[in-house]
Amino acid sequence: MTRTSLLLLVFFILSGCGKLEYSPNQSFDRNSPVALNKTNINRLLQTPGDDTIRFILGGDTQRAYDNTSAFVASANRVPGVDFVVIDGDISDFGLLLEMEEVHERLSKLSVPYIAVIGNHDLVSHGETVFKRMYGDLDFSFTYKQVKFICHNTNSREYKFNGRVPDLDWLGNALHDPGYFVSIGHVPPVSGDFDQALRPHYTKLLRQHPRMLANLYAHTTKTEVLPAESENDSPMMTTGGINMRMYSVITLVNTQFSVKHVAF
Amino acid sequence: MWHFNRSTIAAVLLLGTLLPARAQLGFLKPDALVSQYAGSIGQGSIGAGYTIFNKKGNLDLVYGYVPKAAGGVDHIATIKTAVRPWKIPVSPQVAVYPVNPGLFATWHFGADYDLRFDEAQYPNNYYWWSPALRLHLAVSSELRIKLNKRESSDRAIALYSEFNTNDLYAVSWWQNRETVSFFDIVRAGVGLRIYF
Repeated sequence: MTRTSLLLLVFFILSGCGKLEYSPNQSFDRNSPVALNKTNINRLLQTPGDDTIRFILGGDTQRAYDNTSAFVASANRVPGVDFVVIDGDISDFGLLLEMEEVHERLSKLSVPYIAVIGNHDLVSHGETVFKRMYGDLDFSFTYKQVKFICHNTNSREYKFNGRVPDLDWLGNALHDPGYFVSIGHVPPVSGDFDQALRPHYTKLLRQHPRMLANLYAHTTKTEVLPAESENDSPMMTTGGINMRMYSVITLVNTQFSVKHVAF
Repeated sequence: MWHFNRSTIAAVLLLGTLLPARAQLGFLKPDALVSQYAGSIGQGSIGAGYTIFNKKGNLDLVYGYVPKAAGGVDHIATIKTAVRPWKIPVSPQVAVYPVNPGLFATWHFGADYDLRFDEAQYPNNYYWWSPALRLHLAVSSELRIKLNKRESSDRAIALYSEFNTNDLYAVSWWQNRETVSFFDIVRAGVGLRIYF
């Protein structure tokens, strides 16, 4: 009888060793972080900083955990960085495990990081995972008098229903008197962006007189996109952390400059 | 709410026809009742177990549910198979089956899931995996207590713990072995089997 009791004990201890999972598609577990964008933005706004805004634009950590760890090591060596933006496709399959593994690595950045939604993050229950872990899909924050407008441009995931990107929300976000930086995952040049919304979108953002930069990811190419009209502000895509690329953007006296890094 | 697409209806009908309907269809009568907590097939799950391979294996048909408060809503149908190659007798009525490898497939119901991504919405091979169907590799340990001393009786109650991973986790790990350990992709569950 004692042997049975001992075996039962070992048995139950063993069963506690693994991490319990209800479903790979569950949108949170006991230890999942919440509202990370809000926390990190608050942390950013409390750092004094200087006249220069310098941030790292990285994207597409999807299924690239080794490269994400290498990215963090590289990013932490760049001087004068205020924050990091992960511009979409945090996950590959929209799964909780993926977003948690990526966050575990990104939390080792010495500066706050902010996540923007990508198309891969919207499959299965990914939208629910992202919203709980990071926050709203369209959001903005003002840092050193520049308003960063982070928004959802993953039109194909919504079957091009005309509501993504949300032009009404964007119009309202641009009511401020200061300068802006626009950040989305899918660039307007992509077939995954709702081309019916593109002219209005371009007029609102790229052609806005106080827009400093239009930043995207998704295409796996680091590219500065040429101006299509004389009022166009700079627009670029960053190649992706999965491709071992990121971009260091500096804004000084409303001047935009970028340095691309292969790590 | 439920989204009844063709694949969902087919999966539900298949599951329904395999569960025992009448006593006459003797071979459809299950050999065990299975219930499980966690283990990637629901927060709670329940199903029918069939003994196969001369009592050394099992085939289970299980339905599991994850409520919204636990990270769902997820409705999951699972087909599980496992073998029990080793048996360690503890006493005349108690035995441990320490390492039981198995495979299982889960089907996730709902509007966000289908066998393949919608061809009308996405160009060919835009996303390569199946959102609804997951393939899992598993291993369990089972402690079985016979309820009837007679050799001929199979009546027993068993407690088990099971570890599993799935195809997408495995792909993620394989490509990132520098910073992802195999244990990072292993998930656990515990369950009860009542053998009739």
